[in-house]
Amino acid sequence: MAGHDTAGNDDLDLTPRTNVDGTAVGRTPQRHWLPIVVLALVVVAGGVIVTQFLRSAVDYYCNVDEVGVRDGCDADRRIRLQGTVDEGSIDQRNGVTSFSISFNGETIPVVYDGEPGGIFKECIPVVVHGVIEQGALRGDRVEVKHSDEYVAVNDERVADAKDLGCDASGSGA
Amino acid sequence: MNGDHDDDDTGNTMTTTDPAQTADTVSITAPRSTGTSATRVVGVAAIVAMAWLVAFGLGFSPADRDQEEAVRILYVHVPTIWLAYLAFVVTAIASALYLFTSKQSLGWDRAAGASAEIGVVFVAVTLVVGALWGRLTWGVFWQWDARLTTTALLFVTYVGYLAVRRLGGSHRQRARRSAVLGLIAVLEIPLVHWSVRLWRSLHQEATVLDTDGDIDMDGLMLFSLFVGVIAFTLLYAWLMMHRVRAMAMEDLVEDRGLDAALAARRAEGGA
Repeated sequence: MAGHDTAGNDDLDLTPRTNVDGTAVGRTPQRHWLPIVVLALVVVAGGVIVTQFLRSAVDYYCNVDEVGVRDGCDADRRIRLQGTVDEGSIDQRNGVTSFSISFNGETIPVVYDGEPGGIFKECIPVVVHGVIEQGALRGDRVEVKHSDEYVAVNDERVADAKDLGCDASGSGA
Repeated sequence: MNGDHDDDDTGNTMTTTDPAQTADTVSITAPRSTGTSATRVVGVAAIVAMAWLVAFGLGFSPADRDQEEAVRILYVHVPTIWLAYLAFVVTAIASALYLFTSKQSLGWDRAAGASAEIGVVFVAVTLVVGALWGRLTWGVFWQWDARLTTTALLFVTYVGYLAVRRLGGSHRQRARRSAVLGLIAVLEIPLVHWSVRLWRSLHQEATVLDTDGDIDMDGLMLFSLFVGVIAFTLLYAWLMMHRVRAMAMEDLVEDRGLDAALAARRAEGGA
């Protein structure tokens, strides 16, 4: 292939030259397949992320006071139920944990086959995944939700002295 | 002559070849290091700030009433995502400056790319550290909740941005396509930040960047978080200075290879 450069050399041969290994002369070999593979993985990962989010959203995220009131928060379907663990309600026997959760004055008992992880304890907001059967939530997953408040342990002792107790008004959950 | 040679904002000398030159006289000079006195000052400041963060994060700041010692993860988790937001905003601004200024300096493109690389690393740190924090507090490493999902999408999007930058073509082709993507991708940040308001979420709402103005955080914890932000900001600045210069040198190496090939071809033609 012939061409001309900026200096006006009309007969300059512009045919690409290659090394023995097939790479262009004077040019660092570039692996263009790698970014294409990465881009394909990015598209797949994006699809998986969105799909998982949508599948997770199939289970309605309800507060205790919305059971039987809000659409989707019905007793006969799988839901995610949010409430605060009631003080003195935790009972762990034979690998089963029973407790009750409250939100805006409404309470529901929870039976969970296992020991909840994280910082599970009384007076802490939780999200329980499960189905309501015979007035109790049969949970198969308990997630502890901590509030956006950060209080030093020393301050807690002051709060204990004032006997503030549980707050299940819904503000912390 | 490669038409992508650019006057460099980083101060590197980039000398293009004259058409009449041969392969033996290709003249390109570049710095031998990405370090300068400025990077050294910022680097030392970053090390000091990180030491300060370790002292406050692990020593002076108190444990939390509910989360106990696990709260110390906050001092890495929050600064890294804030800096990732900043990095991606810088990418968008640099992309806009490349696209919409008459000069269209490749220096802006390299700043955009460098900032996105650092932002991706910071988001990765946020996700990993957040998963560990989630296991300690929520009881699970991961949940397909709105905040976690949108943050994962942000990470994946910018990994894609970095892949697009490496698809090949000339420097200007790279700059143009990645600038457009950089301007679109930054729109995800408000979605990530407001996801905890838009959807019901396991992730707690913002404590410091909250619209109600109340910061429900112990004073020493807040100060430790501030130290974390300073430390990671200095780290970001230090990484940016080095990476922008390194990218300029990478472009230079590519240009030199092309110039050498063209010069050799001209020599053949003249022989």
